[in-house]
Amino acid sequence: MNAVPRRIQRVLAGISLPVYLLLYAPLSVIAIFSFAPSLGHPGPNVAAYGLLLNDPQVLAALRRSLTLAIGSAILGTMLGTLMGFGLSRFRPAKGGGFWLGTLPSLIIYLPIIMPSLVFGISELIFFNFVHEYTGLLSAGLLTMGIAHVTFQAPYVALVVYARLAGLDPNLFEASQDLYANAVKSFVFLTIPVVRPALIGGFLLAITLSIDDFTISFFTAGPGSVTLPIYIYSAIARKGSSPEINALGSLMIATVIGVALLYYFVTRHRERSNRIPAVA
Amino acid sequence: MMPGAVMLPAGPQEVTAARGAISLSGVTRIFAGSIPAVDHISLDIQAGEFFTLLGPSGCGKTTLLRMIAGFETPDEGRILISGKEMQDVPAHQRAVNTVFQSYALFPHLNVEQNIGFGLRMRGVRKPERKKRVDAMMELLQIGPFAARNAGQLSGGQRQRVALARALVNEPEVVLLDEPLSALDAKLRAELQIELLRMQKRLGMTFIFVTHDQHEALVMSDRIGVMSRGRLQQVGPVLDVYEKPRNVFVAEFLGLSNIWAIEPLGGGMAAAPIGMLRIAAEIGAARMAMIRPEKIWIYNDTHAPQGRENVFPGTVREAIYMGASTQYRIELGGGGFVLALDTNNQAAERSWRPGEAVAVELKAENIMLVEA
Repeated sequence: MNAVPRRIQRVLAGISLPVYLLLYAPLSVIAIFSFAPSLGHPGPNVAAYGLLLNDPQVLAALRRSLTLAIGSAILGTMLGTLMGFGLSRFRPAKGGGFWLGTLPSLIIYLPIIMPSLVFGISELIFFNFVHEYTGLLSAGLLTMGIAHVTFQAPYVALVVYARLAGLDPNLFEASQDLYANAVKSFVFLTIPVVRPALIGGFLLAITLSIDDFTISFFTAGPGSVTLPIYIYSAIARKGSSPEINALGSLMIATVIGVALLYYFVTRHRERSNRIPAVA
Repeated sequence: MMPGAVMLPAGPQEVTAARGAISLSGVTRIFAGSIPAVDHISLDIQAGEFFTLLGPSGCGKTTLLRMIAGFETPDEGRILISGKEMQDVPAHQRAVNTVFQSYALFPHLNVEQNIGFGLRMRGVRKPERKKRVDAMMELLQIGPFAARNAGQLSGGQRQRVALARALVNEPEVVLLDEPLSALDAKLRAELQIELLRMQKRLGMTFIFVTHDQHEALVMSDRIGVMSRGRLQQVGPVLDVYEKPRNVFVAEFLGLSNIWAIEPLGGGMAAAPIGMLRIAAEIGAARMAMIRPEKIWIYNDTHAPQGRENVFPGTVREAIYMGASTQYRIELGGGGFVLALDTNNQAAERSWRPGEAVAVELKAENIMLVEA
């Protein structure tokens, strides 16, 4: 750590503490309220969790959420990997100017920057349009899946691209030099070296899908209520309840769990794969 | 493929078809919107030769190497390896292996797997592969690190792994792109000798790229000095050092004193430091060069009287370099010469700045060079 004056360190600590508080206080409030007393259950209790796990609507929504998350994450990771690979591999050496350098990455990254409201509405209009003329793509898990893939893939591409960009460019030439054609080079070099990024990107895609509400809301059909949509409608109908708080707490725990998994997987892999730069 | 059975189209120059011979004719590479990186280079490298491409950074030597490897395509000219035209042969089908400056060891494989990668890609079966990889690790003394990841190796060890990874495929030609530049001086000297020994033992053609003139002198059978995309001079090490063709080669390879001259006839020429007798036929040459170690330094009072090419002067700078001392001497006419004197027992004495001396530039030691 470079020498940061102690006074500045204190100021920074003074700013970051309230920020952390602001970030995590609501989460802990939900967690605490999930144990709140309710009708017939005085004092702190876990009745809400029991109710939740026996609610067929919740379980169906959970199943749909997981199906959607895993399915879209697999597809999103595959597409995102190819995008990240293409972005790093076929970019001209000198940046390529606007048309070959900036534009391709802009097109890929735009869904990340785009407000999800705009994204969701445009998906809705697009799917309606297609459905009207072809009868395909009626609103449901399929349309939600397509929408999820389109916003997951850029994130995966970003992670994979970062990994590839950090590698010695000579590695790919070395594989060609050692008799690997393009396909062998991809299978025996590219895939193994980006594997940590691949796993990380996959887990990231799952978390993105599980907690997405806006885009899901616009692309969902009557039979494809996922957890976030279920929570929204439950709150809209009867306000916050211990069950909803319990559900929220479980989702927070899951996402934290996946994030930790992601952290340890990538960190462990990174460490065993790193080659210190030659001075 | 049968050795020696290759038929060649009649080229403008004689083409050897021996396994590992390389023939370049008019090879040119121009990167978009700039001057040629490699400019009409024609060169024949013999099979089994240790050939060094020497030049400052940006002279095009690495680009030339990359074209031989197949990573770059020449815009003009032909490259023949072992007599075969390489124009449409992709890098992965060339019997050429490269040792990269960054080593480019695969981060997801251990030492053994790194070395075996080329054999694996060519479909060599595991028992045979293991035998050859083990033999190569033994040869380069990296067996103890077989299971280590590339990240756990020192610079010298990585260099050896990179070399083993190339040699194990028994390529016709090994290309080395400044493979020693990241190592410290002592290790570099050790590996230079080892590399040379390995090359003589295996008999493969080595093309070595470096900007280090000392490395080039130590290792090569022949060197090609490059500047601005062109070959300035090609020849055995001794020839290039002793008889540099032009000012660039003279200055890049070793130290030199170079003067513009005006021929006066009768083997005499006027130089900024005075009149010089030159043994060589002056002809159209307008530049003269002498190596610092070819200059005699005399104590002022012992200077030979009445001889040509003897100039009085004063020592202005003496740099002690261990085995020798380098002197910068200001001559009576105002010019400077650089002279080198060995510090062995035969050396009469050494000089300190400010001492009066005389230097002799023997006529036969003065070389004529092109501008």
